[in-house]
Amino acid sequence: MPRFSDKFRYWALVLPALAIMIVFYIWPLLGIWVISLNEPVVGLGNYAKMADSNAVKTSFVITFRVAFVTTIGCLILGYIVAYAISNFAGRVKPLMIALVLLPFWVSVLIRSFSWIVLLGRSGIVNDALRGAGIIDSPLRLMHNEFGVVLAMIHVMLPFAVLPMMANMRGISSSYVDAARGLGASEWTAFRKVYFPQTMPGVMSGALLVFVLSLGFYVTPALLGGGRVLMISEYITYQIQEFLNWGLGSALSVTLLVATALVIAVAARFVNLRSALLERG
Amino acid sequence: MTDTTDHEAKLDLVEIAAYRYREGRLTRRGFISAMAALGVLPALGSKALAGANELVVVNWGGRPTEVLQEVLGDTYTAATGVKVIVDGSGPSGGKIRAMVESGAVVWDLCDSGMGTAIILEQQGITQPIDYNIVDRNKVIEGTAYSNGVGNYVYSYVLATNSKMLGGNVPKTWADVWNTKDFPGMRTFRKSVRGMLESAVMAQGVPTKDVYEVLGTQDGINGAIDMFRKLRENIIVWGSGSDSQNLFLQEEVAMGNIWHTRAFLLKDQIEGGTFDISFDGGVIAPGVWVVPKNNPAGTEEVMKFIAHGQDPALQVKWLELIGSGPINPAAAALVPPELAAWNPSSPENLATQILYNDEWYAKNQQAAEELYIDALIN
Repeated sequence: MPRFSDKFRYWALVLPALAIMIVFYIWPLLGIWVISLNEPVVGLGNYAKMADSNAVKTSFVITFRVAFVTTIGCLILGYIVAYAISNFAGRVKPLMIALVLLPFWVSVLIRSFSWIVLLGRSGIVNDALRGAGIIDSPLRLMHNEFGVVLAMIHVMLPFAVLPMMANMRGISSSYVDAARGLGASEWTAFRKVYFPQTMPGVMSGALLVFVLSLGFYVTPALLGGGRVLMISEYITYQIQEFLNWGLGSALSVTLLVATALVIAVAARFVNLRSALLERG
Repeated sequence: MTDTTDHEAKLDLVEIAAYRYREGRLTRRGFISAMAALGVLPALGSKALAGANELVVVNWGGRPTEVLQEVLGDTYTAATGVKVIVDGSGPSGGKIRAMVESGAVVWDLCDSGMGTAIILEQQGITQPIDYNIVDRNKVIEGTAYSNGVGNYVYSYVLATNSKMLGGNVPKTWADVWNTKDFPGMRTFRKSVRGMLESAVMAQGVPTKDVYEVLGTQDGINGAIDMFRKLRENIIVWGSGSDSQNLFLQEEVAMGNIWHTRAFLLKDQIEGGTFDISFDGGVIAPGVWVVPKNNPAGTEEVMKFIAHGQDPALQVKWLELIGSGPINPAAAALVPPELAAWNPSSPENLATQILYNDEWYAKNQQAAEELYIDALIN
């Protein structure tokens, strides 16, 4: 067997994936940057138009707001789930982890349609509430931001649970035991000893959910009723309805830059290397 | 000038027809026998074969291609012996232009829209319609252009579900904007097409003045503001099937949708509580265009267009997939139970306005921006 240098082996292993990324991802992505600058005319026209448009500004605000609320929701619910699995699950732990992962096996589209069945005006939730005599007329549970956020939290939850669980797995119970032994109440021991140790997990979950939510398309398009126009839907609209590739590309680039900025800002507060690369 | 033809509306007809077909309402044999019963197939093969022996007609695919083949193509072959091939590959303005400019024209007749027809004429891509053969009185007024002529129509109409409204049904666009007396959700298209017109009418503007009002920026802003006021009660539809679903799932009680979708909903919503009103509707025609140097020659294609103006054939088209007859004379032949659903009956025509493509070419893009802003901001 011929002997190759370590460097050669490293590149031989990395190269196929890298080549695919460059040809099918980086290259078209650069194409988007180019289109945003030279269609229909060369210059910054698309960006100027974008900055002028109230609709674009609102859409960006909606996008960041929905992503933020979704992140908060996922963190609260996800923390509880991760905490329960890590500390109290015992023998049912594999089952609970499987339940967290299960939604991954169902497409986002189908999950979003399920929410339509649940939240519709004559959907299961409204029918049940009406049948029980709790409400007289149906509640508006979807075709608004509430419905979108609810369904997005559902879709994003595993992305919050998994990093937090991985983090909690590495926390030794002896610290909390020691705090309790020294007279701290259960709550104080959690708040001052356990919770700070879970922060890296919380942050990486937050970052993951937030960044993924920014580019979300299917759920807002289906459950938003046209009133919750997130930026990715707006991009589709520009390109499909108006064949306006220039503006659509400019919007994409702006979303990409905004996302990068979020990560850059987050990097000042979180150790990204430990948050994203070294789980558990 | 941008291409304003509403290809989505055309593709929607494809979907509708596919639905009818699945439902089992369209069968080829049933159709042919209906043709015979209507006396549309009188002169089978009696005419001599002459001139071109093949005509290629192009539309947007799916079941409408088959319907076009059966309703217009096969009957034309029966009458003249000229073979008609209906091709559903989608004759977009760009494709027609590329074909003519390359000199390899294989299409004789294309199902296009007003916006595209106007552009293609300006670019010198299409032939003038020969109104010695094609009868300009057999199409709705305003749809006989020099290089294009109407072939069928579809309308944006006020659709209502009286069951959800407790029998209190809005009659006008002003009623639709009156949320106090007519509570419930409304649906409008995720585009200004056919929508701004209704907002202008809701302000009390007579139908004939709608585009005049929309001709000024103030008029456009006024219409946009109407949507801003109403937006808490609006769910938008993106595709034709969206609009159908919103009514079926009782998400909305009223809305501005395509009459072709309403045509399906009338059979799907129980108890006959679903209805439409053409009062204040916006009617848009499909348009035939003939590429320059078409292989079958000008005369043959003009004869085919004239053949398609036959009111009996047009009624068949309506019965099968809801496309409205372009020939107002067809109205008399429409079965009574479908008369109220025919966008081009004299009664319904009188209360509608013709979709103005020139306005859309000039203003649509800017208006769409304002429309989205009004709905979300």
